[in-house]
Amino acid sequence: MSHTPAYAQSRPAGGPVARFLRSYYIYLVLVAVVVVLSAANLDRFDLFERGNFLNQNNIINILRISAPLLTLVGAFTLLMVSGYIDLSVGSAASLSAVVYALFAIHGLPFPVAFALTLVVGAGLGAINGILVVRLGITPVIATLITLSLYKGIALLLVEDGVSAIKSGGGLSMPDWFNSYGRIGVMLGLPAAFWVAVGVTLVLVVAQNRTLLGKYAAATGGNPTAARLSGINTGRIVFLLYVIVGMTAALAGIARSSFMSLGDPLSGDGMELSAILAVLIGGTAFAGGEGRVLRSFIGALIIMALTVGMLILVPAYFQTLLIGLALLAAAASNHLISRKEVVS
Amino acid sequence: MTGEQPSPILSVEGLTKDYPGVRAVDDVSFAVERCTVHCLVGENGAGKSTLVKMLTGALQPTSGTMRVDGSAYQPTNPHQAREGGIATLFQELHVVDQLSVHENLTLGMERARFGFLVESDLDRRVVETLAMIEPSIDPSARVSSLSVAQKQIVEIARSASSGASIIIMDEPTAALSEREVERLFGVIRRLRDSDVTVIYISHKLDEIFELGDAVTVLRDGKHIATKPLPEVAGRSELIEMMIGRSVFQDYVPRATVGDEAVLSATGLNNHLLKDVSFHINRGEIVGFYGLVGAGKTEIARALFGADQCSGEIRFKGRKIGGSPKQAIASGIALVPEERRTQGLFTTLTIRENISVMNLRRLSDAGIFRSADERSAAVDYVRKLSIATDSIEKHTEKLSGGNQQKVVFAKCLFADADLLLLDEPTRGVDVGAKTEIYEIIRNLANKGTSVAVFSSELEEVLGICDRIFLLFSGALEAEIANGPDVDMAHILNVVTGGGGSVAP
Amino acid sequence: MTAYPVKAEGVLGSDHRMGDETFIASLVACVAVGLFLIASVFVPNFFQPLTMLNLVTNNWAVISLGVGVTFLLVSGNFDLSVGGVVALSGVLAVWFAQSADGNNALSTGLGFPYWLAIVCALGGALAVGALNALFVVRFSVPSIIVTLGTMMLARGIAQVITQGSQRNTNLPPEFGILGNLTMFGTSVRLPVVLMVVLLLVAIFIEKKTVFGRLTYWIGANPVTARLSGIDRAKHLTYLYLLSAGIAGAVGILLASEFRSGYSNRGTLMEFDALVTALLGGVAIAGGFGSVIGMFFGALILAVVTTAATGMILSPDWQFILKAVAVFLAIVTQTWALARRNR
Repeated sequence: MSHTPAYAQSRPAGGPVARFLRSYYIYLVLVAVVVVLSAANLDRFDLFERGNFLNQNNIINILRISAPLLTLVGAFTLLMVSGYIDLSVGSAASLSAVVYALFAIHGLPFPVAFALTLVVGAGLGAINGILVVRLGITPVIATLITLSLYKGIALLLVEDGVSAIKSGGGLSMPDWFNSYGRIGVMLGLPAAFWVAVGVTLVLVVAQNRTLLGKYAAATGGNPTAARLSGINTGRIVFLLYVIVGMTAALAGIARSSFMSLGDPLSGDGMELSAILAVLIGGTAFAGGEGRVLRSFIGALIIMALTVGMLILVPAYFQTLLIGLALLAAAASNHLISRKEVVS
Repeated sequence: MTGEQPSPILSVEGLTKDYPGVRAVDDVSFAVERCTVHCLVGENGAGKSTLVKMLTGALQPTSGTMRVDGSAYQPTNPHQAREGGIATLFQELHVVDQLSVHENLTLGMERARFGFLVESDLDRRVVETLAMIEPSIDPSARVSSLSVAQKQIVEIARSASSGASIIIMDEPTAALSEREVERLFGVIRRLRDSDVTVIYISHKLDEIFELGDAVTVLRDGKHIATKPLPEVAGRSELIEMMIGRSVFQDYVPRATVGDEAVLSATGLNNHLLKDVSFHINRGEIVGFYGLVGAGKTEIARALFGADQCSGEIRFKGRKIGGSPKQAIASGIALVPEERRTQGLFTTLTIRENISVMNLRRLSDAGIFRSADERSAAVDYVRKLSIATDSIEKHTEKLSGGNQQKVVFAKCLFADADLLLLDEPTRGVDVGAKTEIYEIIRNLANKGTSVAVFSSELEEVLGICDRIFLLFSGALEAEIANGPDVDMAHILNVVTGGGGSVAP
Repeated sequence: MTAYPVKAEGVLGSDHRMGDETFIASLVACVAVGLFLIASVFVPNFFQPLTMLNLVTNNWAVISLGVGVTFLLVSGNFDLSVGGVVALSGVLAVWFAQSADGNNALSTGLGFPYWLAIVCALGGALAVGALNALFVVRFSVPSIIVTLGTMMLARGIAQVITQGSQRNTNLPPEFGILGNLTMFGTSVRLPVVLMVVLLLVAIFIEKKTVFGRLTYWIGANPVTARLSGIDRAKHLTYLYLLSAGIAGAVGILLASEFRSGYSNRGTLMEFDALVTALLGGVAIAGGFGSVIGMFFGALILAVVTTAATGMILSPDWQFILKAVAVFLAIVTQTWALARRNR
């Protein structure tokens, strides 16, 4: 039996440095962002507490604000790996936030309100799944439809003349309402953050160790091969939409608890942040490629930048910077993937 | 334990497949013995691919039966075929680039508990199978880092470890280098030694003699012979069985062939082409004949500027090859290989398809002259007898032959001086074929040069004045067409028998 | 092969059977009229000439944007940046035209003459279009991602220039003319007339010109288009410039109408333009759709939202109504086409 390795050897993907960079660049970017923000204009950190960007309170604050996005990006990544997209996550989060606040203000205990909201989120995801998988509507259009639908329902659930579900008119928010997103339970961080970490860990395991993760990659990488291997790709995609819906609900719960109210616009733009985080994390547009953990880091980078930028420049720079970041991420994503094909 | 008597692993009885007006496979019966490499040969259109499609469940036979290991076998889709023990290695690879080799090997067969992947004997088995047939591939490598040949082997290993007892390979060496082919043959032999039967389809006769244990020859949809290869007396007997008769040809030498070169190509090289040089004269019909993967399409696309390649192409004295736009502007038109995906706008109407390559003829300052566009469309529908009740019919609703005629109309409307026709009659019924040949001859008689790129010998012999024979990217020989053309010689050259050696 | 019956040219060449596009456009038109009649029955004071006129005049901005968006969708590409461009060009026009001697940052501009301010604002809009084309054509990034990015970029620049609010002081008197000029002694204003002209020109381009046909060819099959000698990159660049140019003009007119450059103007207009195109039967797969269909799609949307307002539904209903309308439109159009072509 011959062992000659001459047989069209696998092409090396650059030198060891290049390979290291490709695998770990995201962590380097995160470190770089933190270093730059820490070095820049320390005096203006009084927005939180005078001192360093790396001040403990400051870090806790950023992580608390980040909890909704951090919860969402993992499942969003898996969906994009399978070659699909969900633009309705922001609206689904808003609707969940309103529903959760309604449950709470009408006296449901925390576990019940929490569980029911998760069920609602799963339902919202299932609607997306039905539109895409059953009715064959293009994912972008299908989820734009539900973006509008969920947003409309969220707005309708809030009475006219009021901007959000909050205490007043004889009803008041229970005391426990904002503890989930605000009160530290471990290392000074609230439950919402630890749920985000937990969800991410579960999805990392799911991506690496379960049929779902593997079949998602197969569905996005080569749908024909997946189907020929007997994989029910439609069921995988449907399931992923449901999971994304549930994490969107968790994001909505975290957001409403943090803000102590059920704001029907609170999730607006979350789909953009999610896309941005996933792109920074190196997920391919075309599917098949992408890691849950890297998107998590990508989301941290965005939140650090957003908060850091709030300190450095006025708030009205935010949209511009997100737009620039999205274009930059898209361009670099293109350059990286092209390099891999060429080399 | 089966009985002492070796029963065939696959037997086919009276298999027939009818298409409207055509019997693609006609009462074919043969048997494939266990643990052999069984080759399937025949010219293009002999019915091989239809037969394979029935074996893989992509088509259902009109009549006849198939038996695998003695039990009836009636697959209705490729997945069922796999469950029935027949796996197919398609030319298009079905591996997931983004997964590892090991993940690909187990894809769709994993053991899982509550959705979690669990270790099982499957994992050991696939690694062993891979190590047995190709030890140099690392199971933990990402498939995207493998070469095409290695990906093929991963797919073969997956089929083998999925318990397939028969693996069908359709032209597996088309995209491989010589060394890779040797490696693949090693894999196939080891498969055979480990209880797998391989049905091997190839045009390259040398491969068949090197690898095969038995051969089945098809011709015009009929079964000609099934023989152990040692009993076949060399290439010439095989070629004779494949041709079987003198090809019906109605070629008559034409008087209008000029001798001034319109196009000259020198030293074309790319991933497949090896130093290809030739010229085409005014009013001449030139044929490029070769098997799948011999480089016909590559030459056509290079001349048209659709793919980049090194070397020089001159047309009417000017250098071309930059882009299709440039080619069209200088008077070249291409009827591409795939009419639906490359030649037509299927969601648009016949009228809207015909005008695209010559907008000046129908527009002033960017505005269409609607009446002219309509009458041009009517004119070409008439000229090419496209069967339709209106020029406003969407081309996706036309039959294959009529679609191809619309593509022709598009190119004719461009008033090109050189027409490149890549497989001009693939998937076209006999009647339309004859009409298309007539169109080609008329064009040439009026001074248009035509290059026909075809894998159908009959087609090339029927209409071309001069024929270039291609084998794996190189121009092996050039022959003038005529009544005394030596078909055995042609088949020998294009199946790798060398340019000058007689069979 | 059977012999083909010889047919008279008149038969072969005549439009005796409606094309799929005309069929869908007529379907959309019928739905629009049907909905209008239904609304007239249920909503008080709906069936009035003024209401009908308002359906069009109140939506001139979205209908105009829909023209560019429709052309791009027919070519197989999205443009979600138009709403952002509306804000950007309006803010730019104001900023350029504001005199340079204001007493605070938001009332101080560059003091350009009005015509120059308009030209420069259009230039800014076209720059966004060029950026779209660059990313979509050269970097082959999916157009949905690119135009989401440029949507935020354009609106972001507008927000920076207006510091997150608006600029409306220190403007030359002629600034407010264009957007408020009434025509021919009626209450119809210049922007509406321009929209009608734009629609007519767009329909002409779509049906009669090489430019229009190129759009369909590219959308129907980019590979065939390339092999037929079409320069896709160039044409898509023109289309993105066209769409951005229309959005820029809309932004300038709106800025003139309100005499202000407001950074949140045009929010969700990209969405409404997409919705009207989808309601009008434009297929996002490319190669199918028409400007007329888009126009009737806009009418459907207008009837539905106006009727909803007339029935004193909360304005929050508009999101749900749009979602349901698009969903029904896609499902019925797919179904109707499949049935027709069965």
